[in-house]
This record gives sequence, C-alpha cells and structure tokens, in this order.
Amino acid sequence: MAAAALREQLNALLSSMFASGLVDDQFQQLQMLQEDGGTPGFVAEVVTLFCDDADRIISELAALLEQPIVDFDKVDAYVHQLKGSSASVGAQKVKFTCMQFRQLCQDKNRDGCIMALAVVRNEFYDLRNKFQTMLQLEQQIQAQQ
Amino acid sequence: MEAGAAGVEVEEGVMRVLLVDDSPVDRRVAQLLLSSNSCAGSFHVIAVDSAKKAMEFLGLKDGGGKEQAIDMVLTDYCMPEMTGYDLLKAIKALNSLKPIPVIVMSSEDEPQRISRCLNAGAEDFIVKPLQSKDVQRLRNCSTAAARPTKGGAAPCEAAAVAKRNNKPPLVLPPSAAATSPSGRRANLAGVAMVLHSSSVELSQYLPLLLKLVVLAYAILCLGELLHRWSSGGRCSLSLWCA
Repeated sequence: MAAAALREQLNALLSSMFASGLVDDQFQQLQMLQEDGGTPGFVAEVVTLFCDDADRIISELAALLEQPIVDFDKVDAYVHQLKGSSASVGAQKVKFTCMQFRQLCQDKNRDGCIMALAVVRNEFYDLRNKFQTMLQLEQQIQAQQ
Repeated sequence: MEAGAAGVEVEEGVMRVLLVDDSPVDRRVAQLLLSSNSCAGSFHVIAVDSAKKAMEFLGLKDGGGKEQAIDMVLTDYCMPEMTGYDLLKAIKALNSLKPIPVIVMSSEDEPQRISRCLNAGAEDFIVKPLQSKDVQRLRNCSTAAARPTKGGAAPCEAAAVAKRNNKPPLVLPPSAAATSPSGRRANLAGVAMVLHSSSVELSQYLPLLLKLVVLAYAILCLGELLHRWSSGGRCSLSLWCA
C-alpha cells in the first residue's frame, strides 16, 4: 500500500481516537514531542510500557477482587497507579473510569468495583487494539520511506 | 535503571536530575520530556524507581554528606515504602554547602499536600502528568552556578504554584530582601524550616481562617445589601444593622 494511503489511514485512526475521547491532549503532546524533539520511537515506547503496566495491574486487580474478603486499600493503590500512568500517556477514558473506580473502592463497594474493573478492562483492550494498529501503520509507513 | 557513579561528567550548563518515580510509564515520560531536543540537551537524567534507591544514590543511607553530582531531585509523591515527602525531608535535613533543590510531583492537586511539601522546603510542586511547559520550572529551580535565567524566571514555588492553583501561597512568607535565587532559596529554606518545626498545625488552620474571614465579609456585604433593599421599613433588619 502506498505511503500516502497508509498515512491517510493513520490520520483517520488518530482522529477517531481523539474524537471519541479515547485519548486526550497529553497524548497529542507526546506525539508532538516525538515530531519536534527528534526522539523517534518515543510514543511507541511509552505506549508499550503503558500497555504492559496496565495489563499487569488489571490482572492484580482481578485477583484481589476474587478474594472472599477484599483488601480495598490494595485495590485502591493499584487503581491509583493505573490512573497515574493512563494520565501520563493520555489514555483519557481509562483515566476517567479509574477515577470512578477509586470512589467505589473508598465506598468499599465490592460489586461496584467488580463492574468497574470490567469496564476498565474493556476500555483498555479497545485502546490497546487501536494503539497496536497505530504502531503497525507507523512501521509500514516507515518501511516505505 | 540508569543510576550512574557519583562523579557524572557533564558539560557546563547541563543540569543533572535525579528522577524518582515508582511508575515505569511516568519515569519514561519524564525522562523523554527532559531529554528531548526542545530542551536543547540541558538535562542529564538519572532515574531510580524508589526513594530508598534515591537515598543510596545520594549517599544518604551511609549518613555521609559526600558531595553528590546532582543538581536537582525530581520526585513523585506517592510511592510505596518511602514517600517523596519523606525523601524531601531527608534531603533537606542534609547539612550541605550546596543544598539540593527538590521538586515534588503528584497526580493529586491537593492544596494541603502542596503546602505541606513547600513547608518542608520543596522548591516547587508539579501536578502530573508532566508536560513540556513544566520543564521551564525545573530550570528555574536550578543550582547550576551562574546560569542566566531565561524568560524572566519567576520565583519557583510562589508564582508557579499560584498559577497552577489560582490561589496565593498560604504559608511561605515573602522574602523581599534576597535577590539572588540561591539567597532567596536559603532564606526561604530557613524560614520554612522554622515554620515547619514550630507551627505545622497553624499552617493547617490558616486556609480555614482565611475562609472564615471571607465568609464574614460576605455576610457583612449581604447584610448591607438587604438593609438597603428593605430601607423602606423592615424593623427587624434595621435593628440588626443599626
């Protein structure tokens, strides 16, 4: 596929991610930094780190919420971590869900937390798919040049 | 982890920053922000993932005050085992000829947390996520000698925190006398230490006092307004305002 068509696809993908509130201004700043700052692979690296980190945290959360007696402090600590890293990378939807999740932790609402985890997981998987597509398109465009 | 030996050789004018954050994502974002071309290579970043490792790097664990080749510490507030606040206090407790500026970062924009850190001597407090516009604040807090401050360097804590929060800094008194950054910093650090040790509780009540004052003033104004509206003759109000 020609580089121009690939670039069009990539731009469309990015536009939809911004329009749907999946990513926010922070992500745009990271992209701009990569373009202006001459640090190639910046965004790919941060995005990959985020996906690995989020994956790990979500697994830990699932394990904690399966316990007969839930340690809400630990759950809250993990959600706080996830909220932090999603904010740093610009993953807006995940960040907002984490904020609600933390409230449920503080209320010690177990069912609420389990539901929130399901929402976070779905939003994260959706975001991860889009990130992976984005990175693939970028690689293909690079290969064409 | 990129923690290097104490004697890091850097060019003149390059600020050596010890970055402390337990989140790998935040660490990487901060590192990349500080090493991007837009910063014109003016930062050399050493990243560690815990306050304990930061203490080891600074030689604090051995109780030694050996001269560390670090111009600034940029630390996250919330970390397991040892928080950024504890690290801040430990660094400020060092009796060094060249005190190291400490900037605290946090994802929570909490006024109490901010004033607590500033009281403990932090040069600045940045709300995460870290962005390129925050990088200038790091430069303003540098100890690198004879660095011409670009773009009208505002005093680290006061202006930056006020801008971020639209509130006046509550506790640190203005030190009008000192003009040089290091003089001002030493002044503030001294006063901050005294304030911290003798009136930590007071500083927590100051925001409440201010709110009460504002509330009282608002009530007085409201009363005045009501009095004017009802000057056509409601005895009860005029009694109150007489």
